[in-house]
Amino acid sequence: MKEHASTQAGTAVHKPFFLWRHLNKLRWVVLSLVFSMLVLLPMLHLYQTYVAAHAYDLLAPSEKRLYDAMELLTSPFVSDPEKQLDAVKGTTWSGTLFGLKLSDPLAVVGQMAAGLTIYWPFLVTALIPIGFTVVFGRFFCGWICPATFLYELNSNIAGWLHWAGFRIGGRRFDKRIKYGVLALGVVVSAATGSIAFAAIYPPAIIGREIYYAVALSGFGAGAAFFAGTLLFDLLVARRGFCRYLCPGGALYSLLGRYRLVRIRRIVESCNDCAKCNVVCEFGLDPLRDGFGQECNNCTACIAVCPTDAMTFVLRPTDVPPQGPGHLGRQYRRAMEKAAGEAAGRERDRGARAAGDGESTSRPEREEAA
Amino acid sequence: MATAGERAKGRGAGGNGGQQSPSAHRPPRSGVGDEVGHAGHPLYRRGLLKSGISALVLFLAAGMPYAIARFLAPAASRPAPRHNAKVSPRPRNRMRPPGALADDAAFIAACIGCGLCGEVCPPRAIVFHAREGGGAVNTPYIDPEARACTLCGKCMPVCPTEALTVVPREKIDMGLAQIDRTACYPWVDRGICGACVSVCPLGERAIGFKQWNQYKPLVRKGCVGCGLCVEVCPHPSKPIWIVDRSEGSVAKHSI
Repeated sequence: MKEHASTQAGTAVHKPFFLWRHLNKLRWVVLSLVFSMLVLLPMLHLYQTYVAAHAYDLLAPSEKRLYDAMELLTSPFVSDPEKQLDAVKGTTWSGTLFGLKLSDPLAVVGQMAAGLTIYWPFLVTALIPIGFTVVFGRFFCGWICPATFLYELNSNIAGWLHWAGFRIGGRRFDKRIKYGVLALGVVVSAATGSIAFAAIYPPAIIGREIYYAVALSGFGAGAAFFAGTLLFDLLVARRGFCRYLCPGGALYSLLGRYRLVRIRRIVESCNDCAKCNVVCEFGLDPLRDGFGQECNNCTACIAVCPTDAMTFVLRPTDVPPQGPGHLGRQYRRAMEKAAGEAAGRERDRGARAAGDGESTSRPEREEAA
Repeated sequence: MATAGERAKGRGAGGNGGQQSPSAHRPPRSGVGDEVGHAGHPLYRRGLLKSGISALVLFLAAGMPYAIARFLAPAASRPAPRHNAKVSPRPRNRMRPPGALADDAAFIAACIGCGLCGEVCPPRAIVFHAREGGGAVNTPYIDPEARACTLCGKCMPVCPTEALTVVPREKIDMGLAQIDRTACYPWVDRGICGACVSVCPLGERAIGFKQWNQYKPLVRKGCVGCGLCVEVCPHPSKPIWIVDRSEGSVAKHSI
């Protein structure tokens, strides 16, 4: 171990930028913001309608409370709530953000399939999300999706249950099922002429159902479906819907297959502790460099890594498998075995010091051999 | 990415350990280390790609007959557009928002159920098929008896799809108001009212009074079927309602 420590110092192992291990907190802030906006927007809409009606005195007491709360919240930012609050409208499925219309790429795919036509103005609204997905991969799933907010809380509940002795939710299925769901959804949309994804895609359901519950007459059918997915995640497979069934996740995985920004393991500082594999919500294999197209850059593995062995890298494909981490027991044993087989221990130590001094990248040499 | 051949070579060399390797401290890849470090991932990814593509092709191929059938025989698989369909004489209490595609099947295919039209509607007239409607679930509608459209026009530009397109106020076609002259108070000489006339956002060109009589309302050609008259009608049985527009003639709609 001592020798390895010295080689570490000698080869100047790449350290990740120090803020990257805090990105996971930023991600939670973003998720909470998106979710709270989805709760807030229907209330702001109600407030707008009350303002437009110019009849504060006729409101019911509960409506007056809502009016006062929303007035308190918005009065620092807007002077004419009836008009200015139109700046932010909608959900993550489709919405308006300060005049910029944004839509979920899955909505565009579903709509094209259902109508068997391409409506260009709608396609254009999905271009920015598609561009970000091509660069950042499945980032929507980890950073924006309001369902992720609830699913990760649900995963925490599953963790507590696991801690309490309930060994549930450990099933694993084939991650390719969701591509079948995507294809099936396209076919069903084309066959029935209505957008099948809208009914089974959790972020669309959540945005809508919050609006139904707050501004209209109560939850719709989608709420029951979403509760079912929560139970599925809790009782059958952790994050099961996102991992195995979500058509949106399938679409973003395909779009983000050659994403530029990806997470990479620094094999020199990895100690094979496998915390990254445990924390990965999507059941990927960061320990063995198995990110693939499914990774959503959620940075949970960066945050959890005790040796700072996870970093971002700009390249269109994953690095090839780099073998066991250099701080781990497997690598040390293999080294010792190799050293013992090659020559005497003393001679080998000398050679190692010399050899490592000139080599900067061990994995490349291994691949070359 | 290393090919299978390269990996096999690397594995073989690793099996021989340090004897062949020029640098003695290269970690040999054998046994458990090999399993952990190398097996599985690239092969898994290639297999994933292959079977993913084949599954995709299979599903799309399975769906082709449906798609072709829908392309070739639109009349058989979806209801005919409204101007060809028989005009329903029944009152409409599930009207699409203003600017909606005339063909309801096309509307359902175009609407993604985002709820934006409802979220900008100032009177909250646009509500949604939340729990019912089958394929039309989550699509918007207006029930004029509950809350009618005010023709403010905010829903049309906000719709991201072609389900609602921006239409000038006079060209909106949600239907046409129809008055039951056997129940309407002024028409049966039970008093004076004029609520429907005074509330109409389009004014004289949509609804007015019968000449020489100040209070008997008459629907005119300009009516777009917003339903405000239905909402305000004070008669308990609502002797005014919205029906499909039949080729622009108002005369047919008088009872």
